[in-house]
Amino acid sequence: MSDKNNKIPFNEDNYTHNIERNNERKLDRRGFMKTLVGAAGVFAVSSLPWGAVAAKELMGLGEKEYPHKKITDVSNLPIGDAVEFKFPGDHDDAILIRLSENKYVAYQNACTHLRCPVFWVKEQGEMICPCHHGKFDVETGAPTAGPPRRPLPEIQVKVENGSIYAVRVKRYEA
Amino acid sequence: MKRRYLGVLILAAILMMNIVFTQYMVHQYYYENYENVLIFGGLNIVLFPLAVFAYKKTINMRA
Ligand code: FES
Repeated sequence: MSDKNNKIPFNEDNYTHNIERNNERKLDRRGFMKTLVGAAGVFAVSSLPWGAVAAKELMGLGEKEYPHKKITDVSNLPIGDAVEFKFPGDHDDAILIRLSENKYVAYQNACTHLRCPVFWVKEQGEMICPCHHGKFDVETGAPTAGPPRRPLPEIQVKVENGSIYAVRVKRYEA
Repeated sequence: MKRRYLGVLILAAILMMNIVFTQYMVHQYYYENYENVLIFGGLNIVLFPLAVFAYKKTINMRA
C-alpha cells in the first residue's frame, strides 16, 4: 500500500487555496465607482437602438405606405359615435369619431402619457384617458388636461363608396 | 471636502446627465424629432468613455 493519499498535496499558499472571504460583500469606494461606470455603459448601450431607429426614420425608410384599411361603413356609424380599429399594425389601437355628417377624425388612441387607451365621451365632447384623467381635444388631438404633453397622432381617413378607410398616420408638424 | 470623493461625485454627475439625456432622447423620439434623438443618444454614448476616464483619473487619489 502506497501512502500517496496520506500526504498534504501542496502547501496552502497558492492560487487556489487563498480565497479570503472576509468582507467580500463590502462595497468600497472603488467598487461603487465601478458600478457607476458600469451604469454609464448600460445607458450608452441602451441608447443605440433608439439611435438606430431614429437614423432609419431620418433616411426615410420609416415613411412606408401602409395599405389602406377599411374601418367601417358610414351607415354603421351615427353622428357623434366612435369606433375603434387597428392601424397601421394589428397592435396599434386607433379610434375613429364621426363629428358631423361629413367630418371624421381618427387618432391613434394610445395615450401619450403612459399608453392607456383613450376613449371618446360623447356627452362631454372630449377624448378621455381613464388612467390619470388626461383629456384630448377631439378636433386636433392636442392634450387639454392631465399629464399628457404630446398630441395624439392623427390618422388620415377617406370615405369612398359608403365605407371609411384609414389612409396613413400623419406626422407631427416640425 | 475630501479629495478622494471627487471621483464619486463626478461619476454621480455623469449618471445624472445620462438619465436626463435618456429621458430627452425618448421624448424627442415620440415627438418625431429624429435629429435630436441622434444628438442625445450620441451624448449618452460619449458619457461612457468619459466615465471610464474619470474613474481611472481619480481612483488613486489620496485624501
Ligand atoms: S396614461 Fe393617459 S393620462 Fe396617464
